[in-house]
Amino acid sequence: MPEKKEDIRIGVFLCHCGSNIAGYLNMEELAEFSEKLPHVTFVQRNLYTCSEGGINEIKKGIKEQNLNRVVVASCTPRTHEPLFRSSCGEAGLNPYLFEMVNIRDQCSWVHMKEQEDGTNKAKDLVRMGVAKAALLEPQESIMSEVQVRALVIGGGIAGMTSALALANRGYEGGLVEREEALGGLLNNLNKLGPTMIEADELVEEKTRSVTGNSNITVFTNARVTEVQGFIGKYKVDIETESGVKKIDIGVIIVATGGRPFVPEGLYNYDGKRVVTQLEMEKLLKAGLDPAIKNVVMIQCVGSRNEERPYCSRICCQTAVKNAMLIRELNPDAKVSILYRDMQMYGVENEEMFRDSKAKGVRYINYDPANPPQVEPDKVRVYHALLGRDMDLPADLVVLSTPLVSQEDAEVISRLLRVPVDENGFFLEGHVKLKPLDFATDGIFLCGSAHFPANIREAVAQGLGAASRASIPLSKGSVVVEPIISVLADEDACRGCGLCVALCPYGALEIQKTEKGRKVHVIDVACKGCGVCAATCYQHALSINSFTDQQIEAQLEAFLD
Amino acid sequence: MLDVGRHPNIELLAYSEVEKVEGEAGNFKVTIRRKGRYVEEDKCTGCGACAEKCPTVVSDAFNEGLGERRAIYSYFAQGIPSTHTIDADHCRQLNGKKCGICAKTCQAEAINFDQEDRILELDVAGIIIAAGYDVFDPSVIPEYRYREIANVVTAIEFERLLSASGPTGGHMDRPSDRAVEAEIAGLEKKAKKSQKAISKLEEKFNEPSAQFYKKYQAGEYKDDEDRKKWADKYTAHLAVTEPLEELKKQAEGFTVAKRLAFIQCVGSRDFRFYPFCSGYCCMHSIKEAIISHEHEPETTSSIFGMDIRAVGKGFEEYKIRGGNNSNITYVRGRVAEITEGPDNNPVVIYEDTRERKVKRQEFDMVVLATACAPIKGIAELAKTLGVELDKYNFIKTSSLSPVDSTTPGIFVCGCAESPMDVPESVAQASSAAERAAEIAFQMDLEKEKAVA
Amino acid sequence: MSKDILVIGGGIAGMQSSLDLADMGIKVHLVEKLPSIGGKMAQLDKTFPTNDCAI
Repeated sequence: MPEKKEDIRIGVFLCHCGSNIAGYLNMEELAEFSEKLPHVTFVQRNLYTCSEGGINEIKKGIKEQNLNRVVVASCTPRTHEPLFRSSCGEAGLNPYLFEMVNIRDQCSWVHMKEQEDGTNKAKDLVRMGVAKAALLEPQESIMSEVQVRALVIGGGIAGMTSALALANRGYEGGLVEREEALGGLLNNLNKLGPTMIEADELVEEKTRSVTGNSNITVFTNARVTEVQGFIGKYKVDIETESGVKKIDIGVIIVATGGRPFVPEGLYNYDGKRVVTQLEMEKLLKAGLDPAIKNVVMIQCVGSRNEERPYCSRICCQTAVKNAMLIRELNPDAKVSILYRDMQMYGVENEEMFRDSKAKGVRYINYDPANPPQVEPDKVRVYHALLGRDMDLPADLVVLSTPLVSQEDAEVISRLLRVPVDENGFFLEGHVKLKPLDFATDGIFLCGSAHFPANIREAVAQGLGAASRASIPLSKGSVVVEPIISVLADEDACRGCGLCVALCPYGALEIQKTEKGRKVHVIDVACKGCGVCAATCYQHALSINSFTDQQIEAQLEAFLD
Repeated sequence: MLDVGRHPNIELLAYSEVEKVEGEAGNFKVTIRRKGRYVEEDKCTGCGACAEKCPTVVSDAFNEGLGERRAIYSYFAQGIPSTHTIDADHCRQLNGKKCGICAKTCQAEAINFDQEDRILELDVAGIIIAAGYDVFDPSVIPEYRYREIANVVTAIEFERLLSASGPTGGHMDRPSDRAVEAEIAGLEKKAKKSQKAISKLEEKFNEPSAQFYKKYQAGEYKDDEDRKKWADKYTAHLAVTEPLEELKKQAEGFTVAKRLAFIQCVGSRDFRFYPFCSGYCCMHSIKEAIISHEHEPETTSSIFGMDIRAVGKGFEEYKIRGGNNSNITYVRGRVAEITEGPDNNPVVIYEDTRERKVKRQEFDMVVLATACAPIKGIAELAKTLGVELDKYNFIKTSSLSPVDSTTPGIFVCGCAESPMDVPESVAQASSAAERAAEIAFQMDLEKEKAVA
Repeated sequence: MSKDILVIGGGIAGMQSSLDLADMGIKVHLVEKLPSIGGKMAQLDKTFPTNDCAI
C-alpha cells in the first residue's frame, strides 16, 4: 500500500435511532471515546442519522470540517449503507471513503440488559471502524451494458403474463415451457374461483396472445440447460426438439410454477374413490357422475405437518369452489369439508366461503391430533366443535393437497445460482420489500415458483415481475458497486484456477497473458463475497474495501 | 422511503390532494391542491427548534393519540419531507392570539403565516391509486367497550406502544397506568405551587402548617384574617397532596402489561360491519405477541380467533414458532364480551369452541385486531377520478386484470384495492407500475409515428 | 402530451409504484395528503419476520 500523504480527517456520526440505541447505550461516553480515536476530527450525535436532518449534518461535516472519511455508527448496512454512501458522494466525498458500524443489532439490541458491556462493545466496534476507515481507498462504480431482451422460464399464467407485459412495453424476449402446450397447471383445471372463469378459455386466449406477439419467441417442449453470464449479458442454452438454441438476453424471470402433491399412502388415496382436488377438477370438467351423492373433502392433506409445515394458501379456496360446483351439478349431493382453519383470506375468498354455506356446503372442524379415517363407504371424523365422532357417508373423498416445488427447481436454482427455501420454493430477495426479485441482480420471480398463488395473485405477480425486470432493460445499462474482487498482485497469481472453481457467481476465469496463465475478474458478475480472496494461497486476489491491510487494522484496533 | 424523497424522477407533493381530473388514458389533466403548511418547504431544515419552543400541545395522530406533539410539528421523526407543518386549527397565531414564537425561533426564516394553498395543474398519461386504508374504529362495537375500558387498545395503538420511538419508548405501559401517572404529574405541579404558598406563610409565622392547623381547628385565631387565609391555603394543599399520595401508592404497584389478549376479526367477518376477512390481522397479532415477549420474557399471550389465517410464505411456521417459543396460546372462538375487573384489568368472556365451554379470563391488556376499512373520502376520490367501487368501497378490479380500475389508464394497488399485507402490496405496486408504464410506452410509440 | 404518471398515496404501495416507474425513467408525481410520506407501515414498530424497522 502506498504511503498516504493526505491528512486523514475522520468524522464519526453516532445515531441514537430514537431510543433504539440511545435507550440502551451510553452515547455521551461513546462520543467522548470516539473523539480521542486517531484521525478523528469531528464527532456528532444524531437522533436519527438516516433522517433528512441527519444526512444534512453529514454533508455539512464533510464541507465545513473538511472530513475525508466518514464513519456512521447506527443500524445494519443492509438498510442504510447505500443512503449514507450516496450522501457522501453528494457532498463531494468519494462514496467508498465511508464505513458503517452496526451498534444497534450488535450492541443495543443484543445487550439491552447489559448497558455497560453494550457500550464497551460499541466502543470496540467504533474503534475498529475508524481504524479501517483510515485505510479506505476511493473506488469508482462499474458500468456495464444490458442486452435489451428477456427470458421467461415457465409458460403458465404467471410466465405468460410477464412475457406479454414485457412485449407490450416493446421488449423482445423468449418464453420457455417444458410441456408441449402453454398454460401450466391451468391446463388441468376446470373453472377458476371466485368468478368461475373457464380455465380452457383463459389458456386459449393467453396462448393466442403470446404466440401471436412478434416480440415473443416461444419454446415449447424445451428446457434451459445452460446459463452463463450476469445481469445484462446472459448466454442461455435452450434444449428443444429441434436442437439446442443459444440466446443472448439481459434479464431472466423465473415462473416455473408448483406441482400438486400426490398423497400416496394417505387416507386410502387410490385416484378413483379417493382423489385429489386436481383429479376432482377433471371429474367436474367431464361432467360429474349423477350417482355421486355424498362427497367428503379433507383439508391439509400432506401440509401443515412436520414434513411440510407450510400452509399451501390456495387449497381451501379450491375446495370451497369445487364444493359449490358439485352442489350445482348434483343439487342433492351432500358435500362436507373437514378443515383445520378455513384459510379464506381477503374479500373475494371470504365472500365465496359465506356463499358456499348459504348453498349448503357443510364445514366440520377436525383436530390434526385425531385425523379423519377414510373407510370403504364413509369417513369417520371426530367433530372438534361438537366433541363427538361422526360418520359421514362418502361415495367420493377429495383430498386437498398442497402445491409443492417443481422437480426441476433444484436444477434451475443451480443453473441460475439463485437460492430455494427449505420447502424447495425459490427464495425472494427480501420477504417484505423485494417479493419479486432475487438477491442476484437481473433475475426475478413470480407465481407459484415463489409460493402457491391463485389466479389473481399469479397475474398480479406476473405483471409485477415484468415491471421489475424492465428496469435494467429500460436503462440499457447497469451500475455495479465496486466492492468486488480484484487481482491486486498479478505476479503472485499462478493461474491455478482454484478460485475459479469455487466462485459461486461464475465471475472468475483464467486468461492467457504475456506473463502466463492469470485469473481475470468479470467485474459486473462479482458480488464481492470474498471466497476467492480467502482461498488464494498466494494472496493475489483482494476485495475492494475489505483488503487484508484494512481487516488487519481492524483486528489490531480490537486487540489494542 | 428516503429513496423516494431523493429520486430525481419523483416529484414529491406531500400535504396535497387531488381536486379534479379530466381527460382520458394517455392524456389526463389533473388539478392538485397543495395545502399551506405555513412553513416554506425549501427553507425549513427540519431541525425542530420551532416545535421545542411552541407552547401549544396537541394530541399526536401519528402515535394514535397516545402521545403529544406541538401545533408546529413534523409528522414523525424520520418523515419525508422533514419539513415542519403548522396545524392551523391549533396554532395560537393563526387563531388571532399573540404568539409567533416559532417564527422568532426559526433561524432559517422558514415560517410564513401568510402562506396560502397553491393550485397545481399536471398533464399525466396514467394514474395509480395507492390511497391505502383506514383502521376500523371499534368503538361502535358495544360489547368490546373500546374507549370505555382504558386497557383495551387497537393493534395499531399497541404497535405505537411497542415502538422505541413511540410514546412509551417501547415499554408496554398500560393506558390506565399512564393516565394515573399523568394525573400524578399534574398534581405534583399543583402541589409544588401550593407548597410554595404555605411555605411563605410558615416562614412568616415561624410554625409548621400542620401544627398551626390543629390549633386553628381547635378554635384558636378566630378573627385572624391572615391565619384564616393560611388555613384555607393549607386545606387546599391537602386537597392536592392527599390524593397525590394515594395515587403514588397505587402507582408503586404498576408493572408493564404481561398478560395479553389479542382479539381477531374486530369489525371483519362481521355482518354488522365488514363481512370480508382483512387478511393481515392474524399475522399482525402473532407478530405483536412475539415482539411483546421479546420485550418482556414473562409475557404470555392468548390469540382469540375463528380461524388463524397464516397463509403466506413462512407464516404457518412463524405461527407455530410463536406458540413454541413466545408463550402464545391460540384459542378458537369469537370473543363475546369484554368487561373490566379489578385493577383496571380487562376480562374477556368467550366460548372456547374446542372445549365447548364459556370462559372468563382476566388480562393486563387487550388488543383488538381491527378491520382494514376503505379510507374515508374514497367515494369522493373515486368520483373525482371516475372509477367504480366494489360493494365495500374498495376500488373495483377483476381477477384477470387485478390492478386495472374500471377506467382505462387508471390503476390501483395496495389496500385501496382490497385488504392485503406488505409483500402483496409491494408486488401489486410493481404490477400497477407495469400497467402504467405500458401507457407511457404507447405514448412513445405514437410520438415516433407522428415524427415518421 | 406528457407521459408522466400520477401516483395518489405515499404509503408502501405508492412508494414502490413510484420507485419502479422512476427507475424506468418515467417522471412520477407522488401526491400524499399527510405532511410526510410513509403511510401505515411507518407506524409499525418492526415487521415480520426479520423484525427490521419498518422504514
